[in-house]
Formats: sequence, C-alpha cells, structure tokens
Amino acid sequence: MSDCIIRVENLEKIYGKSSVKTYALKGINMQIPRGSFSCIIGKSGHGKSTLMQLIGGLDRATSGNVFIDGVNISDLSDAKLSELRAKKIGFVFQFFNLLENLSALENIQIAMMFGGVPAKEQKKAEDLLKLVGLFDKAAAKPNELSGGQQQKISIARALANDPDVLLMDEPTGNLDSESEKDVMEHIYNVHKTGKTIVMVTHNNELAKQAEHVFEIYDGKLKVV
Amino acid sequence: MNVLKLVARNLLSRKGRFLFTLLGITIGMASFVALMSIGQNMRNEVTAQAYSLGGNFVIVPDDLCVFNQIGIITGDAISERLDFAEFEKIAAIEGLDVIPHLTRRMMIYNPTAGAQQPTTVTGILPAETKTFRNWDMYAGEYFSSQDHEAIIIGQGIMNRFDLGVGDELEVRRGEMFTVVGILASTSSNDDTNVFMPLSVAQRVFDREGSVSYMSATVDDMARFDYFYASIHSVANNVNVATNEQLLGAVLTIIGSVNVTLQAVAGVALIAAAFGIINTMMTAVYERRREIGIMRAIGGRSSVIFRIFVIESGLYGLLGGILGIVVGIIVSVFAAPIIQGDEMLMGLEAGVNIDAVLIVSAIGFSLVISILSGLFPAWKASKLTPVEAIS
Ligand SMILES: Nc1ncnc2c1ncn2[C@@H]1O[C@H](COP(=O)(O)OP(=O)(O)OP(=O)(O)O)[C@@H](O)[C@H]1O
Ligand SMILES: [Mg+2]
Repeated sequence: MSDCIIRVENLEKIYGKSSVKTYALKGINMQIPRGSFSCIIGKSGHGKSTLMQLIGGLDRATSGNVFIDGVNISDLSDAKLSELRAKKIGFVFQFFNLLENLSALENIQIAMMFGGVPAKEQKKAEDLLKLVGLFDKAAAKPNELSGGQQQKISIARALANDPDVLLMDEPTGNLDSESEKDVMEHIYNVHKTGKTIVMVTHNNELAKQAEHVFEIYDGKLKVV
Repeated sequence: MNVLKLVARNLLSRKGRFLFTLLGITIGMASFVALMSIGQNMRNEVTAQAYSLGGNFVIVPDDLCVFNQIGIITGDAISERLDFAEFEKIAAIEGLDVIPHLTRRMMIYNPTAGAQQPTTVTGILPAETKTFRNWDMYAGEYFSSQDHEAIIIGQGIMNRFDLGVGDELEVRRGEMFTVVGILASTSSNDDTNVFMPLSVAQRVFDREGSVSYMSATVDDMARFDYFYASIHSVANNVNVATNEQLLGAVLTIIGSVNVTLQAVAGVALIAAAFGIINTMMTAVYERRREIGIMRAIGGRSSVIFRIFVIESGLYGLLGGILGIVVGIIVSVFAAPIIQGDEMLMGLEAGVNIDAVLIVSAIGFSLVISILSGLFPAWKASKLTPVEAIS
C-alpha cells in the first residue's frame, strides 16, 4: 500500500444545487503506484476532468476521500491545500492556462513564488526552460508562443517546485500531431526522472503506452 | 518574481484603466492638499500676527463683536468708538504701557493692478508707538513731532504699491501727504499699514478725541487680573481681550471655513475611493481566470488577497504623492487670488506645506485606497480554482 502515492476512496462529486444536479462522479476507487505512468480515458462528459481536479485539490469532493502520500486531502484546510497544489502536485491543463501578463520565465517563477521560493533563488526557472528547450523564449509572452510551446512552458511551470505527482488533463488535446509528439517526448522524459504521472487522454495510441489505464464511464470506473 | 513585481505587472498591463483611476484619486487628494495648505497658512499667519501686535492684550469698545475683532489681527480698520479720554485714564495706571490706534481705510493706486486698492491707515502717538513697537527705519526718517503732517509706510505697502520716500498719497479726498519714511520690516501687519500721527489722523478723518482700540502690555502678566480690574474701574464701555482670546475667536472662524473647505475635499476623496472600488471590482471580475490559475498552481487565498490590497494601496500611494504635487501647484496659483480678497488684505496669503501635511495626506490616501480594496480583494481571494478557471 505504501507504494501507492495516490489513493481514491468512494469518491463522489455532485455539481449544482437543488434542482439541477449533475452526478459527475458516482463512487470511484483507485490506487496509483508511485513513479508510474497512468492514463485516464473515457467519453466526453463522463467525469475525467472532475476526477483530476479532485485528486489535484483544485476542488472538494461531495463525499469520499483522496489520499496523497498517505495524507487525506479532504481534511486539509484551504491554506494547506494550496500548499499541496504548490509543492506536491503539478497540474497541466488542456488550454495551458498561462498568465498572459507574464513572460514565459515569469510564469515559472510565479509558481516558485507560490511554493515559497524567494525571488533571488528562482534561477532554477531558467533550467526548467532549458529542459523544455525554450530558453530562447524566456521573455516571450504566452500570446507570442505556439500552442505546443505554451504547453511545454506549462509543463515547466508544473515542475517548478519539484512535485512528486504530475496531473495532466488532455495536455495534447489542443495540439496538432507534430506538437503532440514533441510535447509527449518531454512528458516521457519527465517521467523518467521518477515522477508519478496521471494523464487524461482521448488518444488510444498514447493510452497504450501507459503502465495503467483507467476508463471512466458515467462517473464510474470501468475495469480495463 | 515576488508579489510587488507581480502587482506592477498587473497595473502596467492595463495602462489606461490604471491612469484614469490614478487621476481620480490624484484630483481628490490635490484638492484636499490645496485646501488644507491654504487653510493652514491662514492659521499660521493669524497666529504670527496676533503675537506681533506688540501688546499682551488689547482694549476695545465693549460692543465690538468678535467678527470685528478680526480686523485688529488682520490689520483691517475697525470703527473708532473709544474716547481719547479713556485712553488717558488707562495710561495713568501704574505698570501698564498702553498705546492708542485710530484705524481708517484709504485707497492707493496699484500700478501693477492698474486700480485703486484699499489699505488701512493708522493714527498713532509717534514717540510712544515707536518704543512700544520697537520700530526701526528702512528709509527716510520718522515723524518729527506729535503733529507732523506726514505719513510713514510699511515695507509691504512700499512693495505692493511701488512707493518711495517723497511720494505723495491722498489719504482722504483733497488731503495729500508726503511719505517721509519707510519702516524696517516687522513681519507683522505693520508692514501693510500706513501710519500718521494720531492728532493728524483725527483731524483728517473728523474723529477728534476718538480712537479705535488700544494695545497694552504689562510688566508682569501674572498680575493680569489686577490690571483687568483696574482698567474696568477707571474706564467705561471698554472690553479687555488678551491676544490669546482674540486669536481663539479668529481661529474659530477660520476653523469653520476650513471645515467647509475640507468637506468639499472630502467629497472629492470619497468619489475617488469609489473609483478605486469600481476599478478593483472590475479587475476581480475580469481576472477571474487569472486568479483561478494562480490558485490552481498553489497561490494561497491570503496571497491573492494581498496582491489585490497592494494593488489598490499603490493607487493610494501614487495618487497621494501626485495629489500633493498637484495640490502644491494649485495652492501656489490660488494664493494671489486669496491675497486679493479685501477681508484678508492684511494677510500674506501663501502656501504652507509642512511635513505633517505631506505625511498625513499620503497616509490618508493610502488608508482610503486600502479600505476601498478590501472588499474586492476579499471577493478575489474567495474564488476557488475550479470555479475561476471554468
Ligand atoms: N463546474 C461544473 N458545474 C456543473 N457541472 C459540471 C462542472 N464541471 C463539470 N460538470 C459536469 O460534470 C460532468 C463531468 O464533466 P467533466 O468535465 O469531468 O467531463 P470530462 O470527462 O472531462 O469531459 P471532456 O472529455 O469533454 O473533457 C459533465 O456532465 C459536466 O457537464
Ligand atoms: Mg475534461
């Protein structure tokens, strides 16, 4: 059990109040071993993003528990949950979600700032840019970068505080196949450094390469 | 990257909004500072002049209202309703040094303004007043006798009306007098007065035997009660007012004017504060996604709160500084206009900016802007990552 960095127990999520309720997750149980590469697949609207958000502490479950490294994050205060998001988990979104006012480098630095790294010690942001091969774009604003480049910046940002877990919600869903290959290359490289990766994808080819595949169907886990 | 740098980025990436919001608080603060500095200057001038009256107290007609007493301090003319005989009785009291004044208005041509302007002409006992007031001459000579048919002017009059020794002034219709001397500056309203011997003034203005008020000084202020009683026992229809009392009365009036001015400035400030609230609320709404992203990558709600409070606080800080600069410029331009006001003609209107005003203005502006930012900042910090991003 101790080698499972993520453990999900009877997780339920209901959106909306009284009249229009959406039962997005209907009791999910799953375990993800440390250092593994897992994929979550499933049809649109069946709850993949919801599950990722709950694992990543971006939202709170209606009931059930998520354990990260043995800590039940449902019990964490808002501040502790923020700290978890800053240091323990890196999140990569389908639509990149970079801050438009900030340069590529600053987008990584601000994540370090939230992780408690003082401005003087944010040099590592440059190394992360080099890691994704975009050091020459340090000063570029997100709108001056291609989709693939933006996603690589956001992977670098997710790595800012050296988290154990990377959660990626369709990281290549918005990219052409050329860029997808490039971005996946970087993701595999990151995985080789020992990070646990959970990735939502619609691409079955990609899912085939994962060590574990979970399929979500109508808010429930379908055994693959 | 740190919070301050992030705030600077946020502000500068929306330059237009930033400038207009800043302009709002700058205007509010500028009017506040200008009105405060002009008001403070009035207070300082009045205080300085009250203490330069040369006496520890004044003796005025007992029916002279507080409003008229201002004239003594500003150097304006006040009506002549005291008997010279009363003066002689009071002057006889042992230990009391007292001098009479007869004050009237006269007009002098101001070559700069191209018009006649009013000023005060004061009849005095030449020898006694010179000693009492410690006067020195700047040019020309002093009155040679009790009934010397001549005038002496203060340096302020000399400068304002471009006069010199030997010039002639029409003190009253058909009454021409030569300026025989100019007083060295006393930094009191003596500088903005025209003087002539009391007996000459009484004749020229048909006020034989009358004076307007008396200045008095005593050897020992601790015996003030004794002198107060003595004066009332020998003279009728007089009132004794210490300089502090006069000052208090005048400051009360100036104070109420200041309160009105500050209320106007206050309204401007409140409008500016709502400008900040509006800007920050709009920012929270517009930047939901940005806030959500920051929360998602680990930004605590306290940090988000701080970012927004600092942003609005910066409006206050910059607006306060700009407001002070603009306020000083405005009061410098407003000063001559106030100077031209007849009621205040004896006062050197000017700008009074001290460290206290600067610090309190910036502090005030900062507090208002931070308060205005609290609610928007709280709204921003309460957004959960998911609801902000989606
Ligand atoms: N914030 C929300 N408020 C209300 N309902 C929501 C919210 N987010 C998701 N839902 C609903 O929950 C269900 C699951 O949505 P979710 O985004 O998890 O699906 P998904 O599997 O990620 O789909 P996709 O492949 O299109 O990204 C859907 O019915 C969706 O409409
Ligand atoms: Mg989704």
